[in-house]
Amino acid sequence: MTKFTENAGHIPDFLLADVKWHDLEFEAGADTVYVKVPMLAPEQCTQLSDKIKISSNNFLRQEKVSDIVELIDKAIERLLNRDDPFRIKAEQLLPIVTGFDKEMVRLSLTEYLKTFRKPQLLKFLNEDFPNPKILDEFQPAIKGGFAKAFGPNCLLHIWAGNVPGLPLWSFISGLLVKAGNIGKVSSSEPLFASWFAKILIEIEPKISDCLAILWWEGGKLEQENILLRAADVVLAYGGNDPLKQIQDRTPITTRYLPYGHKISFGVVSANVLDAQKSWSVAHNAANDIACYDQHGCYSPHIFFVEQGGHISPRDFAQYIANELSCFQEKFPRRSLTTNEAIEIAKWRNQQEVLALSQPDAEIFSDKDGAWTVCFSECPGKFSLSGLNRTIRVVSVSTLETIIPLILPYKKFLQTVGIAATPKELFQLSESLGRSGITRICALGTMTKPEAGWHHDGRYNLLDLITLTEIESSAETASEFFANYTD
Amino acid sequence: MSTQNEIVNSIIEFIDSDSTNEKEFNDLSIQIFAYQYENNIPFRQFAVQQGTSPRTAKTWRDIPPVPINAFKSVFLSCCEPSSLGRTFMTSGTTQDGIKGKSYHPLLDVYDASMKKNFKERFLGDLDDLEKIKMGILFPDESSMPNSSLAHYLSLSIKQFGTHCSRYYLDSHGINFEQLFEDLECAQNTRTAFALLGASFSIVHLLDKMEQENQRFNLPPGSRILDTGGFKGQSREIEQDDFYNQLSTAFGIPRSCCVNMYGMTELSTQFYDDGNETCPAIKTGPHWIKSRVVDPLTRKDVPKGKPGVLVHCDLAHFNIVSTILTEDAGIEVNDGFILSGRVDGENAKGCSMAVDEFLRATK
Repeated sequence: MTKFTENAGHIPDFLLADVKWHDLEFEAGADTVYVKVPMLAPEQCTQLSDKIKISSNNFLRQEKVSDIVELIDKAIERLLNRDDPFRIKAEQLLPIVTGFDKEMVRLSLTEYLKTFRKPQLLKFLNEDFPNPKILDEFQPAIKGGFAKAFGPNCLLHIWAGNVPGLPLWSFISGLLVKAGNIGKVSSSEPLFASWFAKILIEIEPKISDCLAILWWEGGKLEQENILLRAADVVLAYGGNDPLKQIQDRTPITTRYLPYGHKISFGVVSANVLDAQKSWSVAHNAANDIACYDQHGCYSPHIFFVEQGGHISPRDFAQYIANELSCFQEKFPRRSLTTNEAIEIAKWRNQQEVLALSQPDAEIFSDKDGAWTVCFSECPGKFSLSGLNRTIRVVSVSTLETIIPLILPYKKFLQTVGIAATPKELFQLSESLGRSGITRICALGTMTKPEAGWHHDGRYNLLDLITLTEIESSAETASEFFANYTD
Repeated sequence: MSTQNEIVNSIIEFIDSDSTNEKEFNDLSIQIFAYQYENNIPFRQFAVQQGTSPRTAKTWRDIPPVPINAFKSVFLSCCEPSSLGRTFMTSGTTQDGIKGKSYHPLLDVYDASMKKNFKERFLGDLDDLEKIKMGILFPDESSMPNSSLAHYLSLSIKQFGTHCSRYYLDSHGINFEQLFEDLECAQNTRTAFALLGASFSIVHLLDKMEQENQRFNLPPGSRILDTGGFKGQSREIEQDDFYNQLSTAFGIPRSCCVNMYGMTELSTQFYDDGNETCPAIKTGPHWIKSRVVDPLTRKDVPKGKPGVLVHCDLAHFNIVSTILTEDAGIEVNDGFILSGRVDGENAKGCSMAVDEFLRATK
């Protein structure tokens, strides 16, 4: 039995002496991690946001975006280096804190971090700014005049903790637009954002006063309200109800970017279901299910499998079951609390009961309930999985028949993992896009969005900035006042 | 093969027998299993799917427990719809808005089970024919004909309530004025008073009493029965706080505040022996047995470990006798403790909350 204590969070030095710390406790198997997170008093929140605004004006906003890219790249390089003390800690503590399998965390982290190295960051910038120099100085605008993009002076992030490392997306976006960042970590994964901040500060101490990583109890509105009022932009992840509550307390003049819960699914065309390719397709599908045990918004809840291939949808469901059984050996599912197990059991019981009225339905499951595949010949309603490696595989006559099934849930859809021919891919993508899907990827990569991904179809960086434009009239008129004018 | 009449008679006889003989319980449970396997087609399909039949089942533990959500979507009954006397439905809005249903061709067994058990567990200190003044905080049976709890409470008042017992809740809400008057009368005349109702209605009553600074000191013999918990009906109250408040508000010791755990999917209820300490141990009569299983493997968990409850209720003869609940519990001594949910424990996963998803289409 090992006990670890880890200080999470980051507070600029001037406040550090007076900060209270709270212990969050995590247990997995015989190991325990105590994570200390900083909790600010209301008046400290005001002092903090003032300081961050001044410091980011004085430092971050003076830096070139290319320097910030270099800085992030160096930090990511350290997190990718398996001998780096922070990487060692991440590999050791994240599996205990999140309960996910050690090896799965290690591999997924590497995959994930690779999307934030310099070349990928440049792509990321380029996706939103064809000319990233617009973040550094006024640049000629196509319509005439000049423009410069200003990031928020103070960007408040309210993060979720379902998947380790998730805060990096918005944290890095904030840095790229030179924002002062205040982040609230989730009680379920408070570490990764904290480590990233600490590494940045080790590389560039001046950034210390431009960042804060905090924690406060859900429902501690006083602190939250102060920060919501202080921020220029508020970015929050979570369920729609909590997001709505945050929105109601955010000033109307503050830009609010909510990222609500989303659902994703997989699509398999009959054309890929031959004896040769089916196994690898099933392997990739199972990988998407097993990775982080479906806790991500990009994780699949259901696979629609087209009839008419050499391998039937039912056999394909069996293939997925076999692959899940292999994944269980390689990367076992995290251990569940009784309540989580009850949630899965409820879902499975429901599928069993449905199977009673559908003679064609079949349930594949391992004896310990580590994974479950429920196959059905009739798609019925689009419904959610029970999470933690439970999946529905349904047979559809053609790929287009999926569209009416998903349309009612348009506002909640995000990723589709697809295995289809090029022609089918583009045909179906059109209808999927109309149905609210914002990301279409290969099976096996559902949980690994590519660098520069537009999260939920939005511009990660453009959404954060405000543009200041010098209209051509001002430029022309200024000529008139120049001292060199004849 | 037994007929319905034979089954009903065997069960009523068993209920009356006070038998604690394990073999007799097993024999009757298998006889009922065989009856249900024969007459309840969806249940037979389910048992086949689970690889069990009356031939292979040796004890009640071998009978495949039917998940309670089957009561929502499958017609589980040993007799034709035309010969059904009464259908009880689950309350509460469930995820999909579909209610679980229990079909009763006759209520003789339900009533026999309820009366004997209720008398023993809630009115154990009363003489055989003695009655008590009852106040019910729940709608009467005529306004909720599909509620098993309404039927239960109506039986209690008819069988064990004095003629001045009454209901204090109708479509207009709780009749506080009348209730306070009657409680005061019970207090002044030193007449024992039994207050029965849904836990959340009792919370509303407590709130009102606090608001009006109202308190009673009911005479010894007075008692309270609450049931149903606070599931989604207002704020959750810690059990300890709830029983402390009850005790203070009515002058009734916590040991006389009994909680009943019942389900529409059963014909027998569980009780604790008062709530002096919480959580109190729930036990049932000799015609119902429970075990705690791993929710995923459905195998018994070691005693003292959490799992979900499986009940085998011989009195639930027309539907299925053995059910797999969604209630978490821990086996202790000869009963079990219901373990509540820990807040926020299901919050993991970007995968949205199910209700949010279902609301999307409404």
